[in-house]
Amino acid sequence: MDITNAIVAEGIVKVFKKKARRKHIIGPKIGKDELVYAVNKVDMKVRKGELFGLLGPNGAGKTTLVKCLSALLLPNEGTAVINGHDIVEDPIAARESIGITTGGERTLYWKLSGRDNLRYFAALYGLSSDEANQRIDYLMKIMGLLDKQYERIEKYSTGMRQKVSICRALIHDPPVLLLDEPTLGLDPSFSRFIRLFIKKDLNEKQGKTILLTTHYMDEADQLCDRIAIMNQGKIVAVDTPENLKKSIPHDEVLEVKCLGHADFEGIGQRVYSQSEDGVQVHRIHSENVEEIMSEVIKAADSAKILSMNVTKPTLEDVFIHLTGTRLTGEFNEE
Amino acid sequence: MRNDLFLIKEEIKKNIKILLCYPVEIMFWAIFPVLWVIPFIFQGEALVGGVTSSEFGKLAGTDQFIPFVLIGAIISTYLFSSLYGMGGSIRMESYWGTLEYILGSPARKISILMGKALSESISSTLFVATQMVICIFGFGLTLTVGKILPILLVMLLLVAGLYGMAIALAGVTLQIKESRSLVHTIEYLFYLFSPIRYPVGIHPMIAAVSVLIPLTYALVAIRGIWLLNQSVSVLWQYVAILALLDVVFITFGYSIFYFMEKKVRKSGVVAQY
Repeated sequence: MDITNAIVAEGIVKVFKKKARRKHIIGPKIGKDELVYAVNKVDMKVRKGELFGLLGPNGAGKTTLVKCLSALLLPNEGTAVINGHDIVEDPIAARESIGITTGGERTLYWKLSGRDNLRYFAALYGLSSDEANQRIDYLMKIMGLLDKQYERIEKYSTGMRQKVSICRALIHDPPVLLLDEPTLGLDPSFSRFIRLFIKKDLNEKQGKTILLTTHYMDEADQLCDRIAIMNQGKIVAVDTPENLKKSIPHDEVLEVKCLGHADFEGIGQRVYSQSEDGVQVHRIHSENVEEIMSEVIKAADSAKILSMNVTKPTLEDVFIHLTGTRLTGEFNEE
Repeated sequence: MRNDLFLIKEEIKKNIKILLCYPVEIMFWAIFPVLWVIPFIFQGEALVGGVTSSEFGKLAGTDQFIPFVLIGAIISTYLFSSLYGMGGSIRMESYWGTLEYILGSPARKISILMGKALSESISSTLFVATQMVICIFGFGLTLTVGKILPILLVMLLLVAGLYGMAIALAGVTLQIKESRSLVHTIEYLFYLFSPIRYPVGIHPMIAAVSVLIPLTYALVAIRGIWLLNQSVSVLWQYVAILALLDVVFITFGYSIFYFMEKKVRKSGVVAQY
């Protein structure tokens, strides 16, 4: 039994069949059925007590991997051991060790109160009536939900529903937590509360092993001890946030904001551009950013440069460096 | 075991609380089957010129056409409201996004299914009780106290087999997501091949197929007790066949659910609406 790692995934493959489109409802297929590798030979180790981030854009395979780890989906190949229990051989014991929460609001019974929801899920995790009540009192208190506990979920705000979802994941006090996009769609104050709770209370105070999936790079940067970067079903890098940023061959990035179209292709080693509220933001990777500034001004042509900043590489830059594409996760911190 | 009972209790509580949020649904199941039966009564009266028929009696063993049809309506309501409820329950869990949490929990699935089946029985009993009150006070159907226990015994045996069918249906719903058309098909096959509206002796093919349907034995036994004053000892062969079919249906139902659960976990369909 592995005593240092709480999660060990070995060669996990999850394939979905994408059926070919038909021209008409009963007409012939256009093309062939396709196999989509949502998770492709993923190896991963998460140490006990570690807060481990899984960072990747939407569709990278993070949620599918979490569903495999929680023994909800059966992998086509490979397996994982959670807290000493194999998810394929002994899924019941593996599930007992896991608390899971997934993004999205509709995972609770909206016609039931917050308390009734938690009592039901407590029963699913084998708690007795008394144990359930004690645990619900404790969790609703720390989440600040006691005064709303008898109200129906449909009357809760999005943030309050997410708090109930987290209470559900913690109802049986599991050693391992799989938190899939826990701050997705939350307003800044709720996001900050959830992040602090995950980091300070669950990880540092209670010592829980946490696998956190996110596409918010700053969230992963702030919270996680180590991060796995996932793209197109594969893990492309695993390290601490600092080491990942150091892995870029240059330690500075030139960020240029301008109005209007400007083509900076060919300047520096890599250029990545996106539009934010009508402003074009270009991140130019180069070994010596000061040397390329004059080229940038010249290439701006008719576009109006609003600002030029020399910044340190972010995880976004790491992602661009590794995959050639952007993460595109906007961070909703105040 | 204690925790399983707690889970079954919580499952029932959850379903009943949610059902009570939709009173129109309760009204539909209580009233509609009675309204449905009225045209057949009027049709029967128009055809035979009254509420009894000797020709009908030769096939059914009783010439009381109206009580025959009313009992068929009540028992079939119990059956179909439970089947619709069980399939719909899995469908709704999927729609609410809670199905993944249920299937991803370490709970024994048989406890969850028992909880779901029992809550459907409770709501079906409420519908049928309302129907019986309407039948007794509106259509003059009589029921003596001494007949209640034997009828309940037959009902229990019917319900056990029904649980097997409902569990199988829940398993199929995991895959196909929408089970209403499947239940509609079962419903119409049962209407055609079991003595809900007419005695199966009306056609040799219907009589031959009806022996495979547990509802046939339950209806024959219940009508025997209710309308012909027969005792369970006279009807023992129907009761024995029902009990045997219960074992077959429950084993079959749980095997189907177990197979389908594994299949949807493998295909990934479990995560789709």
